Amino acid sequence: MFGRFQNKTRSIPRHQLENAGLRLSDLQPGQKARILEIGGSEMFRIRLMEMGLLIGDVVEMEKLAPLRDPMELIVKGYHLSLRRMDAEKIAIETVAADE
Amino acid sequence: MSRTQTIAVAGNPNCGKTTIFNSLTGTHQHVGNWPGVTVERKEGRYVYHEQTFKVIDLPGTYSLSTYSVEELVARDFIIKDVPDIIVNVVDASNLDRNLFLTTQLIEIGRPMVIALNMMDMAQEKGLQIDTETLGVLLGAPVVPVVGRTGLGIDLLKEKIHRVQTQVSEKARHINIVYHRDIEAQIERISHVLEQGAIALPNARWVAVKLLEKDDHIWEYLVDFTEKESLKIVTAEAIDQIEKIFNDTSRSAISHARYGFVRGATQECVKTTLAEPVDYSRKIDKFLTHRLLGLPIFAFFLWVMFTVTFNVGAYPMDWIDSAVSWMINLLHTILPESMVASLIVDGMISGVGAIAVFLPNIFILFFIIALLEDSGYMARMAFIMDRVMHSLGLHGKAFIPLVMGFGCNVPAIMGTRILESRRDRILTTLINPFMSCSARLPVYILVAGAFFPTHAGTVIFAMYVTGGVAAILSGKLFSKTVLRGMSKPFVLELPPYQKPKFSSLLWHTWERGQVFIRKMGTVILVGSIIVWAFGYFPREVTLSQDYDGQTQKLKTQLTVRQHSIDEAFDASVEMQKQQYYSVLVPFESSKHFKELVGQRDSLLHETQINFQDAVASVGYARQADVMSQKWIGKLGKIIEPIVAPLGFTWREGVALITGFVAKEIVVSTYGVLFGVGADVDAENTGIIASLQQGGMTPLISIGFLVFVLLYTPCLATMAAIRRETGSWGWTTFSVVYSLLLAWLLAFGIYRIGSWLEWLT
Repeated sequence: MFGRFQNKTRSIPRHQLENAGLRLSDLQPGQKARILEIGGSEMFRIRLMEMGLLIGDVVEMEKLAPLRDPMELIVKGYHLSLRRMDAEKIAIETVAADE
Repeated sequence: MSRTQTIAVAGNPNCGKTTIFNSLTGTHQHVGNWPGVTVERKEGRYVYHEQTFKVIDLPGTYSLSTYSVEELVARDFIIKDVPDIIVNVVDASNLDRNLFLTTQLIEIGRPMVIALNMMDMAQEKGLQIDTETLGVLLGAPVVPVVGRTGLGIDLLKEKIHRVQTQVSEKARHINIVYHRDIEAQIERISHVLEQGAIALPNARWVAVKLLEKDDHIWEYLVDFTEKESLKIVTAEAIDQIEKIFNDTSRSAISHARYGFVRGATQECVKTTLAEPVDYSRKIDKFLTHRLLGLPIFAFFLWVMFTVTFNVGAYPMDWIDSAVSWMINLLHTILPESMVASLIVDGMISGVGAIAVFLPNIFILFFIIALLEDSGYMARMAFIMDRVMHSLGLHGKAFIPLVMGFGCNVPAIMGTRILESRRDRILTTLINPFMSCSARLPVYILVAGAFFPTHAGTVIFAMYVTGGVAAILSGKLFSKTVLRGMSKPFVLELPPYQKPKFSSLLWHTWERGQVFIRKMGTVILVGSIIVWAFGYFPREVTLSQDYDGQTQKLKTQLTVRQHSIDEAFDASVEMQKQQYYSVLVPFESSKHFKELVGQRDSLLHETQINFQDAVASVGYARQADVMSQKWIGKLGKIIEPIVAPLGFTWREGVALITGFVAKEIVVSTYGVLFGVGADVDAENTGIIASLQQGGMTPLISIGFLVFVLLYTPCLATMAAIRRETGSWGWTTFSVVYSLLLAWLLAFGIYRIGSWLEWLT
């Protein structure tokens, strides 16, 4: 009965960020940024990709939730929500607000 | 007429897939579960040009990898059941992401029709989509539709028909072409696959999945003869790709898929508006505002709660009266027999006790459907995620937990809104600790009896204790039996939409009917069992002569009445002699009237005392009878288990019957203490009996905590069984909550006694 969950925790490769600069979690509401690199487990990276968040995409930080976590982003016109601890695994560069 | 064709409807969550499914099939639907998992399986039918189509609504997924049960279910169906046609519902206002799933469907290689949904919203966003070219690029006809209005559904049916009959629209299968370095490896693996001497539906797809390190793909390769060489070649190929791309092969392949999607959308989509209007963003300026967001959320919760239980109270009363009426009627028309008792006291009373919750459940489901369809549900998850995250749960898990305060059954059924199975099980397991409304009568009675001035505080403390138990248990489970596998929190906040009333009703019915079915099965059986325990053995030997006692009381009454009359006559005689007035006859005098009044009140008082005494004998008789029935014997058997908590066999029996439904604890007490089953807090008899029965305020606290924590009712148990899909988890939940309840009650009693609290 319990095995169902435990046997799935096979070793999933983790990706260490090479970029040392800004993280998605550093963005302030209203700021825009381009995604440079996505770290974390493969599952996390694939999941982001499935949800349409890819390297090279420009995202806008919309707001933080009332309890300051998670954060709301706008990507290609739709709204996604990410926890800040996950956003720390995403390297970005800021872009001008009108881009 | 040719054979029935099977259509699988696939698409992302929030793409309007269900609306399209409903428009295709109308009301000819059947809702069930996919075998072995608790993912809703919807199936419907329609006839077009004399051809019958069976439509299966696959779970909404963002991809066909195997990270969630939903994805696995969707993929398994396409591969193993081989539908004749796939209808891929695609949100036109969100093409890039939606087409990612499409690329995976294309690779599987079944004939496909793409329903380009939400065209109206795409136009609002200023998107112009060249559906012809898109169809050519994707190798499948593309039909623009607006699911909410039904626009384009006829054309969709026509295209499905044509693809199936191959009249003109030969579905031209295309390949998603990857980078040449990946292609080389696909080639290599395909080559090995060809030697394995089994017929694969699509070797190329299998090759890609192998490269993606998809473990589940081996399930389709059971009969493959060259497994060893395939494993070696696959490992080598993955290595090659990972070296070249400096990334995992899986990620590289997903990137390539997106490359394909972007190529297609760049060619087919034109944006006309510079700045599209984003209404949802404006609404969210208020609804998820950093200061207003929480109060608004709390307000909505309050409304949800109030409406469910206050509005639901009216139909609840109607059902209650209808059930009582039916029971009374049957009692009068049916001759007294075992069958009559089984039907009336067992089946109808038992199921009726649960049926009263139907209005609550339906109203709650309606509100949930409203929250889901409007898009606010996702915002609730957004707002509450921080709190739920501390339990290792997804933000959405908050909703079923709050619903638990009303009734755990719909709340546990409401865990379906959670995407991951682990989250669903965790939320289901801690849900019974949320104190449901059925426990309130027990609190009111017991707290009212022992803490008349502080009953409110005691009851509130029960709710808090339940909440704390839920949180701590949640933490415990997420660190032990339900470790890991919490999905990364990437939540889409879909645009707000005006819900369609018919679809709300449909959702409500879909979920609510499950509860109705349950009443006819599990609850019915459970009620019959409890009835049987209270009914057998039929012959009992009474330990006292109750009839004699009643007779004695009657004699006493007559004697007393007689003596009152005599005393009255004597007094009248005496007063009459001292009476001098000639104007007013004695019989009209003030003195005489006083005497009559005194006599009447004495007679009345005697009558009341007599009735009470007779009732007591009757109840004592009933208690005596109960103690000899199976239920009483069971109580005696479990007495050693509950004795360390300060409970007697009566508490034991009350708790056992409480498994059927918590309110029954109160009526069982009524029966056992001999004050009748129709007990409420104003009933002074039971309060006195509780105190005389040896219960102290301290024990009563332990008893309340026990009632709070152990399995709420049979219906909840059935819901846990249904939603976890496993007797293992159901047993775990029952055993865990019983243990927790026992330990806490024990702790309260022992520590309390030692400190000489409330004794």
